Amino acid sequence: MARMKFLCDADRCIECNACVTACKNEHEVPWGINRRRVITLNDGKPGERSVSMACMHCTDAPCAAVCPVNCFYTTADAVVLHSKDLCIGCGYCFYACPFGAPQYPRVGNFGSRGKMDKCTYCSGGPEPDLSVAEYEKYGSNRLAEGKLPLCAEMCSTKSLLAGDGEMIAQIYKERVIKRGYGSGAWGWKTAYRETIAI
Amino acid sequence: MKAFLVAVAAALVLASAASFLLAENQRFAYQAFATSGARVSDPGTNLVGPRWTGDIAEPGKAGHKAEAGS
Amino acid sequence: MRRLTSLLLLAATLALTAPAVAQVRAPDGAPNPTASSVNEEMLFKQDPTIHGRISIPNATAANLIQPQGREWRQFREAWLPWIGALAVLGMLGALAAFYFTRGRIRLEHSEESGKKILRFNSFERFSHWMTASCFIVLSLSGLNYIFGKRLLMPLIGPEAFATLAQYAKYAHIYLAWPFMLGVLFMLVLWIKDNIPGRIDWIWLKQGGGLLGDAHPSAGRFNAGQKMIFWMVVGFGFAMGATGLMMIFPFAVTDINGMQVMQVIHSLIGVVFIAGILAHIYIGSLGMEGAYDAMGSGEVDLAWAKVHHDLWVKEQQAKTASGPQLGRGQVPAE
Repeated sequence: MARMKFLCDADRCIECNACVTACKNEHEVPWGINRRRVITLNDGKPGERSVSMACMHCTDAPCAAVCPVNCFYTTADAVVLHSKDLCIGCGYCFYACPFGAPQYPRVGNFGSRGKMDKCTYCSGGPEPDLSVAEYEKYGSNRLAEGKLPLCAEMCSTKSLLAGDGEMIAQIYKERVIKRGYGSGAWGWKTAYRETIAI
Repeated sequence: MKAFLVAVAAALVLASAASFLLAENQRFAYQAFATSGARVSDPGTNLVGPRWTGDIAEPGKAGHKAEAGS
Repeated sequence: MRRLTSLLLLAATLALTAPAVAQVRAPDGAPNPTASSVNEEMLFKQDPTIHGRISIPNATAANLIQPQGREWRQFREAWLPWIGALAVLGMLGALAAFYFTRGRIRLEHSEESGKKILRFNSFERFSHWMTASCFIVLSLSGLNYIFGKRLLMPLIGPEAFATLAQYAKYAHIYLAWPFMLGVLFMLVLWIKDNIPGRIDWIWLKQGGGLLGDAHPSAGRFNAGQKMIFWMVVGFGFAMGATGLMMIFPFAVTDINGMQVMQVIHSLIGVVFIAGILAHIYIGSLGMEGAYDAMGSGEVDLAWAKVHHDLWVKEQQAKTASGPQLGRGQVPAE
């Protein structure tokens, strides 16, 4: 099985936010919840870069470790998913997540904060693949249809790459060698404890 | 014993009052993190919500229309 | 002189920043994307987190990477279960050892046995029990965050446990409010009787009568009770403050601040539970006659004279007949 990862080539990202819109539309994500977001670093200064960030589907995911009800699980494709039936909305995954991926339907931690929502790598949840219940809770399951996450698939500059870790790392390495520069695979060190050496 | 029972009852009353007050002041993400931009329909609480028709033939589209129309 | 130092400082800063400025541009002076782009390593050297600007209204989402989440996870999953188990089981073990060696501290009978003296009025007992009942639920639901998935979940299954944990979470957040109010009540009620004094030092030096048969003098509260009082007030306020910051995320601190709050909250929590276990033991099983103080509010005069001699004297001095009540008489409150 593949080891699915995201890689954002910050030297190509033009902060168009199309990945954010694609994600929201594909999964009918409610207003105010952002499974994916684009952050601009050094905004307006020389060397400004934008990075599209969502759940990185970490190796040995911190969210899964700290969850007090063990609602997280890792699929055969190394995608980190969670069960909204078990989630109690405590917010611990948000403390542990290095990438700010977990989102909650309600602001504040007053008890009824709702079930956590995050990027599913377009692969749904624990319900049967492509079922109504799965779509209602987690959005569409593109992986089950043999497709990759929509955010990366429709990225206009092909900055955001999704797919098997080794394969997208190879694509990125080739790019860096050809153009002569690259600011690295953002978040990989924190998420996978590895960097792409060129 | 009487003081104990009154104390437990008071704790429960205060806790329910706290839950009510907190819930009153709690905002949905769509209220807290939204601008005054255009809206075509009522934002749901989570994904497509319970009224989604479940028509998987046209993912998203069919359910969205049913939701907006109701 | 001051001018000279500031000039020197300026020169030093310029010398330090000069290579950085040179790096931004290529040798021929043209902007070089390789050299000028920001990278992770450089940003982590400037700040422990990487954050930027975001165009969505949720400003807290502007944090790109916070590796501290991994450290917090290390605390919560690798250390906290051991610290918590050590604190709670260690205290239970110590209390059991104390019970089996020292045994129950018995009531010593005298000619005044049977007479009652009012120790805690109904509002004092109300405040105590409101705080205490909330504390029991708060501690159990708090321990559930740490040990629930390890101990309870394998027994009852994930679905039943998730439902239970959901209600435990509601209870934890809502019962925190009467608990905080109860701590405030107790602070106002008993602070005047809990100011540490020289007599407490003597009490402590004699081991509080816990180990020997001696009964050192004590006022309304002895040094051990004063320690419990200040622990409840201090820890109660600390738990309230750190808890409130978690109930209102981002109100005061950022994400790293909330991680620190959770660490403080959980560490104080397990020590607090251990301390209250000792308090529960000595107030019920550990000492005959002690429970009446919070149960009915009236204690045996013989017990009071042995354990709180100075307080009894004080009460009897106030009124010759007032606080001493015969059996069955209703205390005037």
